[in-house]
Amino acid sequence: MVLILRNMTKSNLIYLGIAALLLFLPMIITGSTKFMITQIFVFAIFAMSYDLLLGYTGIISFGHAMFFGIGAYSTAIFMDHFDSSLIALFIAILVAVLFAALVSFIVGMLTLRLKTHFYAMLTLAFAGLFLVAAEKMRWLTRGNDGFTIKAPEILRDSTTIYIISLISLVLIFFGLRRLTNSPFGRVLVAIRENEHRTESLGYNVLHYKVLVTVISGVVASLAGVLYILSLRFVNTGVFGTDLTIDVLLMTIIGGVGTLVGPIIGAALIELAHDWISGLANVHWIFERWLILYGIVYILMVIFFPLGIVGTIREKFSGRKKSKNNAKQKAS
Amino acid sequence: MSSLLKLSQVEAHIGQFHILHDISFEVPKGEVTVLLGRNGAGKTTTLRTIMGLNPVYRGSITYNGEQITNLKPHLIANKGIGYVPEDQGVFEDLTVGENLRVAMKREDESTTERLEWILELFPDLKKFWKKPSGQLSGGQKQMLAIARAYVNENDLLLIDEPSKGLAPIVVEKVMETILQMKEKTTIVLVEQNFMMASKIGDQFYIIDDGQTVHNGLMGELREDKALMKKYLGVS
Amino acid sequence: MDLIASLTINGLATGMLIFLLAAGLTLIFGLMSVLNFAHGGLFIWGAYTGVWIYSMSESFFLAIITAIITGLVLGLITERLIIRPVYGNHIQQILITLGFMIVLQELIKVVFGPDIKAVNAPAWLAGNFQVGEITLIKYRLFIIAVGLLVFFTIYLILKKTRIGLIVRAGVMNREMVQTLGINIRFVFMAVFMVGAALAALSGILHAPYSGSIYAEMGLEFSILAFIVVVIGGMGSFTGSLFAALLVGLAQAYMAYYFPALSLAVNMLIMVVVLVFRPQGLFKVKG
Repeated sequence: MVLILRNMTKSNLIYLGIAALLLFLPMIITGSTKFMITQIFVFAIFAMSYDLLLGYTGIISFGHAMFFGIGAYSTAIFMDHFDSSLIALFIAILVAVLFAALVSFIVGMLTLRLKTHFYAMLTLAFAGLFLVAAEKMRWLTRGNDGFTIKAPEILRDSTTIYIISLISLVLIFFGLRRLTNSPFGRVLVAIRENEHRTESLGYNVLHYKVLVTVISGVVASLAGVLYILSLRFVNTGVFGTDLTIDVLLMTIIGGVGTLVGPIIGAALIELAHDWISGLANVHWIFERWLILYGIVYILMVIFFPLGIVGTIREKFSGRKKSKNNAKQKAS
Repeated sequence: MSSLLKLSQVEAHIGQFHILHDISFEVPKGEVTVLLGRNGAGKTTTLRTIMGLNPVYRGSITYNGEQITNLKPHLIANKGIGYVPEDQGVFEDLTVGENLRVAMKREDESTTERLEWILELFPDLKKFWKKPSGQLSGGQKQMLAIARAYVNENDLLLIDEPSKGLAPIVVEKVMETILQMKEKTTIVLVEQNFMMASKIGDQFYIIDDGQTVHNGLMGELREDKALMKKYLGVS
Repeated sequence: MDLIASLTINGLATGMLIFLLAAGLTLIFGLMSVLNFAHGGLFIWGAYTGVWIYSMSESFFLAIITAIITGLVLGLITERLIIRPVYGNHIQQILITLGFMIVLQELIKVVFGPDIKAVNAPAWLAGNFQVGEITLIKYRLFIIAVGLLVFFTIYLILKKTRIGLIVRAGVMNREMVQTLGINIRFVFMAVFMVGAALAALSGILHAPYSGSIYAEMGLEFSILAFIVVVIGGMGSFTGSLFAALLVGLAQAYMAYYFPALSLAVNMLIMVVVLVFRPQGLFKVKG
């Protein structure tokens, strides 16, 4: 145990410490707060999957909601049409993951060898297609009205879902951290910085990009699965552009290319959702919360493209750098 | 003789790379100044930097005694500098005539005169006036690019490797025309083809690793085998 | 026979509306590599402001003029406030235009209310012609005529005038155009405004065609325009017309025979193009 701890970096210990504290939180909070924090965990996973694309590889997707939606609908449909057993859930997750992987593979193969714009456009179009399909195939999805589902017996307790979501978040966080710090992750960053140079160094850029979109799509679909298990209701909103805007905003506000940033971003956006919907009675403008999001988002992109975590890190390392420079000059 | 263009201690970056460290040279009016140097020494970047296509990080560029450092490309062009890039930059879907029309800011007497003069020099351009320029041969494209840079009231032409990818006989022809243009305009020429450079050039600068390291009259360079070997790999 | 004629005309009319949207998109992209995801926002603003004036003045002509002016003004604002601050950074540009799309869409709901609005064609364009056994709906023919008029006007400008030549040259080689002493930013702003005006025109023409307007239709319709831009070749003006008509016809026929598949079919065409000819049907040479 001591050995493991010694091998941990300081930041990892801090993260684990926070996770441990969060583990005991359900004992002292009420149901609705618990539910909201669970939602934050779910969207944090979703946002991290987006960060892998935008932050680490420089790929822009405008249809990331479709992977989330794939996870959500796979789970809901299996729970609804078959019995709500753990086996059915397991199959649903398997289907979600495979389907998400297949879709991201196809979209990636089609457009990732072209300019960035193509991937953004095609994902927007595909997400539109999924939305239309979900609305039209009423016999399966019941359209925009949606339907409620029964979760497997042992997953009905809100604390259980809270803990499962938290554990998933921690596992996925450390998994993605490991991935982005690995040689594979460094190639991704190299692609983001200069695609041509990475290509000329002998890396098959397309191969890396497609793989990263597949991983990202799969993680997003898992977030969709957890979302449905916690909400136990699904409608076509899971394919909506609002959701893609949400995840974009979470990633950008928190800080692209940091993984921690999107988690913070998810918390902020979810809290803001909660707060703004409470204000809807105060003034009707708050019903149009999306407009506020859009404005914040535009301002972030122009003035703080690095986001909260990125800006803090830059300040921090900037200070370090100038210190180093001073040292070098002195010697 | 007064110098038309002057670069002093110009530094430039492309992305995070430091491409030009210390480029300083002067271009006398009415002469052909040749920039020599190995591949990747920074010759093309130097021309692009003069044209404003690359930002100047430090140092200054003056044209006709006027500061043009870090002006926008179109403002630099309007001061009277014409540019023929390495790949000629011909608008391939446009016809020969349209390529020239894009360049002509005015269709007044002096421009028409210049156009007629250059068309006499390059009769092929007149012949293929209505042909899409993408269908021209390499040499014809080169001539179109030079003509396009010349039609406006430009007193200085920056020409980047006009001999690149052309057959020897075509190179000969391009060279002849540049020699004739010398009468009318000042030229800065980047050239790898030493034979061509030495025939057209009046004076030379050698650029090595982003610095101007040597200069003199073209005639002297032909005699100095050691220098040529050191910087140009020619013997 | 009547059915085929009616579906074809329907398809051509839809195609023309998509073309008006895609034409600006493709030229803006060709000139500056900016893909404007807010283009659909200009479309709905054209529709709403036009319909608003239409309901007050009862003149559809005034409505069209209003839409065009809205487009020009919003185009100017978009270029200045949204595109220019992040000029030269592709990722920021793509991200920011989608954000602006959302703002434009939500702003519609704030200004004009969130409900669907019904719109009827003006009296002089209502009804239909009867040619033999074929029924031709007047308003659809009107859209096709306007589309063709716009196409040929812009085509001639691009072909014959110096400003048109500059735009075409800029699409091929932006840097070279600058070194010929042309302020490409100014040209770009002009093209952006014209593109925005075309999008707004498409919006107001679409309103009586579909019979109703709502804020989300901008994003929905612009997806078709993106598909068209990919099929026609990014940057190709002529390509956008052909691709738009193709998509419009596919849409119309599928909507009749297999309504569930109409978007899917267009996606399929796009996928086929991406696989076999990723540069689009009409490639722009460098």
